[in-house]
Amino acid sequence: MGKTSKMKATLILASVWMLSCVAMQGAERGFDDVVRAISEQFHTRPLHIPFFGLVSFAAAVAHPAGVKHLDLAVFQDLNLGDHWSRDLAQAIRMADGGWEPFVRVHRPAETVLVYITQERSDCKLLVVTVETGEVTVVELKLNPEAMQVWLQAPDAEAVRNVSR
Amino acid sequence: MIKIALITCIVFAPLGAQEIKLPPNLDRLAAKATEVVDVTMDANLLQLASRFLSDKDPDDAHVKKIVGGLKGIYVRSFEFEKPGEYQESDIDSVRTQLHTPAWSRIVGVRSLKSGENSEVYLKTENGKIGGLAILVTEPKQLTIVSIEGTIDPDQLNELGGHFGIPKVDTRKETGHGKDQ
Repeated sequence: MGKTSKMKATLILASVWMLSCVAMQGAERGFDDVVRAISEQFHTRPLHIPFFGLVSFAAAVAHPAGVKHLDLAVFQDLNLGDHWSRDLAQAIRMADGGWEPFVRVHRPAETVLVYITQERSDCKLLVVTVETGEVTVVELKLNPEAMQVWLQAPDAEAVRNVSR
Repeated sequence: MIKIALITCIVFAPLGAQEIKLPPNLDRLAAKATEVVDVTMDANLLQLASRFLSDKDPDDAHVKKIVGGLKGIYVRSFEFEKPGEYQESDIDSVRTQLHTPAWSRIVGVRSLKSGENSEVYLKTENGKIGGLAILVTEPKQLTIVSIEGTIDPDQLNELGGHFGIPKVDTRKETGHGKDQ
């Protein structure tokens, strides 16, 4: 391979890498807005999860269980108050990501909320799990096959997703 | 016996948007329930969801066609730890809405053994089908499904198992003539 060809290959690889980074940042921005809105609403900050960037990158490359993109934020030691359901819904609305409430499963010690939105040809789900003093937010971008599984039994998938 | 897969759902969307107005006292039942599930799919969400149904799979393709005529699917279900946690009066206002001239009960199945009572109602507007409602009461479970839009009752069998709608075999049940 000549010097010019090597340079071309390097340039192409660099371009692909940069484009994928831009795409991932775009997806993260929407998620960051949700995290920021929840942080402001409940006066808290999410936990730092070491190496989660690697997990997200692996999901983007390997698409485990049809997940093309994955983001996670965990808020702990929250004083949710009596109106947490309303406050949380308000925070997600404020994030302005076009999130539509889709499924809600409520159990005595746990509530799972699933929101859905469209991003170009893809579909994104926001799965919010609320337990005593803890809120976990997961954003998933799914491929069509994985999305079909969700559409078959959205409530069962919501609960199963949390149990994973 | 109509087999209903339990769905427990709570809808965030404004209840006013639904064909069947769910009474506020249903929210109070949520406090007693061991599981509450709400699935909300308005026309926009249905349109989005239908894009993910395969055209190649015959079942999915059929469901996709049905969904094209729908304006919304709303499921709300409560599961309780023991019988008697809810009263028939809790769903009186739902029944009242379904006992208006626009609605006709097309399937009704009552099982004395299990205490399950399943009813399917059809709404007609100017000779056209405008919606469908399913009401399932069991000693420890209550499920209300509202489907808005054009749907043939027989299509309910195909739609069951998608979007959180319980499987309801109306053809089998009516065929046995248990209750019409």
